[in-house]
Amino acid sequence: MDCKKTQQLFDDLTHERLAPVVAAQVRQHLADCTDCRVVEQRTGRLQRLLALKRYERPAPEYFDNFLSEFHGRLLTEARRIGWWERALGRVDDFLAAESMRVWRYSFTSALGVAAVVGLAWMGLLQSTDPSFVAIDPAVAASSSLADADAMLPPPHSTPSTIVASLPSRLPVASADYQPASMGNVVLVSTSAHADSSAPRYVLDHLSVAPASYDVPSVHF
Amino acid sequence: MKLKEKLGLGGTMPRPTSAPAPVAEREIDLRHEEDEALVRRSQRGESAAFDVLVERYKERLYATVYHMTSNHEDANDLVQDTFIKAYKSLQSFRGQSSFYTWVYRIAVNRTINFVKRRKNRNQYSLDDLDSSIQSDPDLVEMQSHATPRREVGLNELQEKLNDALQKLSESHRAVVTLHDVQGMTHADIAKVMSCSEGTVRSRLFYARQQLQGLLSEYL
Repeated sequence: MDCKKTQQLFDDLTHERLAPVVAAQVRQHLADCTDCRVVEQRTGRLQRLLALKRYERPAPEYFDNFLSEFHGRLLTEARRIGWWERALGRVDDFLAAESMRVWRYSFTSALGVAAVVGLAWMGLLQSTDPSFVAIDPAVAASSSLADADAMLPPPHSTPSTIVASLPSRLPVASADYQPASMGNVVLVSTSAHADSSAPRYVLDHLSVAPASYDVPSVHF
Repeated sequence: MKLKEKLGLGGTMPRPTSAPAPVAEREIDLRHEEDEALVRRSQRGESAAFDVLVERYKERLYATVYHMTSNHEDANDLVQDTFIKAYKSLQSFRGQSSFYTWVYRIAVNRTINFVKRRKNRNQYSLDDLDSSIQSDPDLVEMQSHATPRREVGLNELQEKLNDALQKLSESHRAVVTLHDVQGMTHADIAKVMSCSEGTVRSRLFYARQQLQGLLSEYL
C-alpha cells in the first residue's frame, strides 16, 4: 500500500470503518513509514483545530423567528412569481427529480439537437423562399444591375431628352423637376460607352469652388 | 396547489374527520414523527408537517452553509432559500434518498453556486464564539502544546480558520466542512455531493494538504 492510499484511509482507520485486512495493511504501513506517521499526527491536529469552528454559533434567540421568516418569504415568492417562471420551475423540478437524474443529460442533448435541426430547417426554408432570393450577394448584385439598366436612359440621349424622360422612368418623380434644379450635376452620355455599355454620369461643372484641404492661415 | 393551501391558511387542506386537535398539540405529535412520514404529510398539503422538518434541520443546515460562506447574513438567506426550494420541489421528491440528504444537497449546491458568484467579494460576518470553547479539551491542549503560536487569541484563531477555509476551492471547502466540522461520514457526503466516496476521500486529502500549509503555525 502506497503513502497516498494510506493517507486517504486515516479517517476510516480512526473510526474503525475498515475491513480487518485493510486496517492491518494501513497499520503496517504506518509502522514502516515515518512520513505517514507525521502526516497522521498533523491530520489529527488539523481535524481538532477545525472542530473548534463548531463553537461559532449565532445567538440562541436567532432561530426564534426563522419559521415566521420562512413563511413570509414563501408568501412573497408566491406573489412575485409569474406563470412562465412557474412553468420553468416545473421543468426544473422535473429534471431535478431523482428518477430523472439519469435522463437529464440525454434530455438536454436532445433539446440541443432539436434546436440545431430547427435552425437548419429555418435556414433551408429561407433559401428556397423566392422572397429571400435577393439575399444571395451574387444574385442581389446582378438583380440590382438589371434594375439599374432598366432605369437608365437609352443610348445617344441628350441631357434634355433624359430629363424629359426622367419623371416617367424614375420611381419617384417630381413635377417641377428641371435641369437647373439638379444643382451642379448634369447627366450626359459618354460617347466611349455609347454602344457597348450603359452611359456614365459625370460632373459637368461645379458652381462652387471645391473645398480645400489646406488649413487656412491666420494673419494678425 | 393554491397559495393558501401551500401556506396552510385553510382552503382545501385535508382536515381530520373528528374534532381537530389544537395546533400546538398536533405539532407536538408531528415532532415525534419520522422524516418520511412528515414528507408524505407535507406532500398531501399539511404545511405544519413541513414546519417540523424546517425546525428539525434549520440549525444543522445553517451551520453547514455558514462554515462554507463565513458570512452570517448570506448563510441565513441561503438556508431560507433552501427550504423554499425544498418546499416547492417537494412533489418531485420520490424518497429514493432520505429527506436529510436531499435537503442537504439543495443547500450545498446552492451555496457552492453562490460562493462561485461572489468569488471577488469575500466579506466576513462571523458568528460569536460560544463561551464553552474555553473548556474544550482540544483548545486547552493546543494552547498548552509547544506550537509557535502558543498564546493564540481565540478571535485571531477564528479569523485564521475562516481565512484558510475560504482559500480552498468550493468543492474542497464543502467536503472539509461536512466532514471535519459537521462530522458527516464519507458515504453521506458522497450522497449529498452526488459523487463517489473515492472522490470525497480524494478531495478531503488535497484540501487537508492545503490547510496544513495554511495553518502550519497552529499545528
